[in-house]
Amino acid sequence: MENKNQPLDPRQSLDLIASMISQAQGNMSSSSFYFLLWGWVIAFCNFGMYYFHKFTNYAAYAHYVWLLGIPASIITVIYSMRQEKSKGAITHLDKIMMWLWIGMMISIFPTWMFGDKINWMVNAIVLMPIGTATFVSGIVLRFKPLLVGGIIFWISGVLCYIVSPLDQFIVGGVAMILGYLVPGYMLRNKKQ
Amino acid sequence: MLKELDPLLHSQLRLGIMSLLMSVDSAEFTFLKEKTNSTAGNLSVQLDKLSEAGYITVEKSFKGKKPLTTCMITKQGLKAFEDYVNALKGYIGT
Repeated sequence: MENKNQPLDPRQSLDLIASMISQAQGNMSSSSFYFLLWGWVIAFCNFGMYYFHKFTNYAAYAHYVWLLGIPASIITVIYSMRQEKSKGAITHLDKIMMWLWIGMMISIFPTWMFGDKINWMVNAIVLMPIGTATFVSGIVLRFKPLLVGGIIFWISGVLCYIVSPLDQFIVGGVAMILGYLVPGYMLRNKKQ
Repeated sequence: MLKELDPLLHSQLRLGIMSLLMSVDSAEFTFLKEKTNSTAGNLSVQLDKLSEAGYITVEKSFKGKKPLTTCMITKQGLKAFEDYVNALKGYIGT
């Protein structure tokens, strides 16, 4: 590639276009960070709710564990801003992923905000949109474990309507491990 | 009869820039420089040519204290790129 300004023959032109487009695809496996962060946070909150209700006398204060979502949100915003800066370009898929997850957060936020009105039985409601966002991310990233994760969230969401109010926290916690953490670690390992 | 290939796009670096900008919403100068493996001077000249033709927009701003150049493809650029690829198909016979 000594002279970058010289004309090309048609075949070279097509090869160059294909190579540049594939270069711009970027590495989407940095998304594993979000799955791992939120997987741990929400699993911890679910198991925390179960623990406080089942084994302690502090059930009335158990819902405070969900406050962990505030620092997790701040970390998410800071991390995504740094990622954007270091990449140097924003792809259409980056935008789709960003708005998919922001939309998902907007859909489930009121459930946490007004959790006391539904006796903190949040999982049955939040697991469905989480499943959708995870499944669609699996399609965008072309990563099957996230598709499986999405399906697990959907099944778990239905299961939460069937099990006892207390056991739905176990279902939610296990769903986070299988739906976020397992695919998240697989995605991270793929990156390395 | 075969269509004439747009001379503005029919050069390695300018076609590389346009292909990259086709795939992203916006790209920084450093991103284009890295991906096209070009020198800053040459890239700058080619960006100016594409910008003068209305194929891309070049926005200059600051990131902290450092100058930041961000490029985006325009509708006119998209059309030119599509026409170019269609003309190429004629040459290759696909």
